Amino acid sequence: MKSYDTITPEGTKDLLFNECIARRNVENSIHKVFKQHGYSEIITPGLEFFDVFNLNSRHFPQENMYKLVDNKGRLLVLRPDSTMPIARVVATRLKDAILPLRLYYNQCVYNISPQLRGRSDQIVQAGIELIGSSSDMADLEVIGMAIDVLNTCSDGNYSIEIGDSGIFKELVAELNISDDMKENIRYLIEQKNYPALNDLLDTIGDNKITKSLKKLPRLFGNVDVLDKASNLFINKQIDMYLTDLKSVYENVKQLYPNANISIDLGMVNRADYYTGIIIKGYVEGCGDEVLSGGRYDKLIAEFGYDVPATGFAINVDAVSQMVAKKKKISNIPVDIIVFAENGFEMKAMQVAQDMRNKGLNVENSFIDDLESVREYAREKKIPKIIIINDDVTEVQ
Amino acid sequence: MSKPIRIALTKGRLEKDTIALLEKLGFDCTAVREKGRKLILPIPDGNLEVVLAKAMDVITYVDRGVCDLGVVGKDTIMESNGRFYELVDLGFGRCKFALAGKKGENFYEGFGVKTIATKYPNVTRNFFEGKGMDIDIVKIEGSVELAPLLDLANGIVDIVETGTTLKENGLEVYEDVAPISARLIANTVSLKLRQQEIESLISLIESKL
Repeated sequence: MKSYDTITPEGTKDLLFNECIARRNVENSIHKVFKQHGYSEIITPGLEFFDVFNLNSRHFPQENMYKLVDNKGRLLVLRPDSTMPIARVVATRLKDAILPLRLYYNQCVYNISPQLRGRSDQIVQAGIELIGSSSDMADLEVIGMAIDVLNTCSDGNYSIEIGDSGIFKELVAELNISDDMKENIRYLIEQKNYPALNDLLDTIGDNKITKSLKKLPRLFGNVDVLDKASNLFINKQIDMYLTDLKSVYENVKQLYPNANISIDLGMVNRADYYTGIIIKGYVEGCGDEVLSGGRYDKLIAEFGYDVPATGFAINVDAVSQMVAKKKKISNIPVDIIVFAENGFEMKAMQVAQDMRNKGLNVENSFIDDLESVREYAREKKIPKIIIINDDVTEVQ
Repeated sequence: MSKPIRIALTKGRLEKDTIALLEKLGFDCTAVREKGRKLILPIPDGNLEVVLAKAMDVITYVDRGVCDLGVVGKDTIMESNGRFYELVDLGFGRCKFALAGKKGENFYEGFGVKTIATKYPNVTRNFFEGKGMDIDIVKIEGSVELAPLLDLANGIVDIVETGTTLKENGLEVYEDVAPISARLIANTVSLKLRQQEIESLISLIESKL
């Protein structure tokens, strides 16, 4: 039998030294934003029952989840997302907690991604869930935090997009077509597959709705697209969504005059998961979106507690890799290395420990001669050597 | 000037057709025409940079965001499953996917599970999944037409342009699977971060189609 004891599974990797520092730095700056807004951390198990992710909206295709069986024969998955487990906790242990709940997380999610594209199956995600408020202020808080997070992670080279899941739903609701057909249209709009979308809509017929749907994926860019859209869609409900989006946009601009925010009305997520504003974030140097979220007022009800919610998640790994590539982060050397001459080992350990208690980072040397210690210190960029014999001598 | 927009072209006929299109738009493609062995070539007056690659790699590069745009056949798009935007049907490189087999036979006859030989297992699987039909797929690298002649398969799913090869080997098209033509695809992030440049290029292209 072939042994795989020297490699990691496809889609996973070991992070070493400066990669770890980059990730921890990113995590810390993200957590700082979360804490500044009064969010508390929640950690959920890596293993969950399959049922937690087997929702009506079928947001999680089963072929993309890592599955296991527990000792009672029940189907488990490695969590593909953190929002479902948090919805589960909110609907159970936090059912009587005072609202709104402000929760944040920072943990791995697991997805089976297409093979041989160099994508990770295990990704660290950080995110927030703001539960119990359907107010505009809640949306604004979440979008504002997304901007803060992207800004700290990318030195300002980011872009954030907002849209509304209601527009597409409103439009297709007026068409007399099957759910499969609706899903096909949604998929093509999401892919911005203009040619195929036009062909498909032509088979349904040429009317106001199909004309609007053809335009939908092209309606992205600066705030002007909202005006373009309101001329295009003659529907009271959609007008309301557009007005709401515009006021959100203006409010964000008022609070964050420098925010790089734009609109994409062609953001159409799968079926029933999102119920209002949708957010996506991009940073320069990442080929995929790094942040996504939005309002999901009906989701927690699937777990038995009808409460509105909104939030977002950011791909910490993608951002950290981008940061590590851009800035040279080197390993931080210790302050001092302690070298013991023969017979003074215990004294050396004691001296080192005393210095650690004073707040210094100190390494014990296991090398026999001073010249090799010097070379080692040079190699590892350690600024000071302390030689221990009858005396304690400090050399640079 | 900002970083050039990098566009990956499928080597061969699609590359030539795309360059012809770009020249029709008024871009100076001399560097691409006289490329020698170079793989990354500038089109300075369009602030473009052309990367030449095999079809599947065009998708990989655009998917991963190392190229902003790509020109690739619908056949490759259907066989891969990348994440990108498919913006324009460029109209050239037209042909089709078809189900074919020995002339005069009824493919759907009988209850046995059919065997299909193909270079495009994903296209084949999706096509028959849509019909709710179980099939066995045999992946062939070379001349797929051989498989039904050698009785390895009941039929083939392959690209058909003129149908001459089929005819000469006593095969015929049973059913069209999907039309094919060259597409302009875009990385999902590039389209957002460089919207104006990409959209103006697209409207320029659309105006010439």
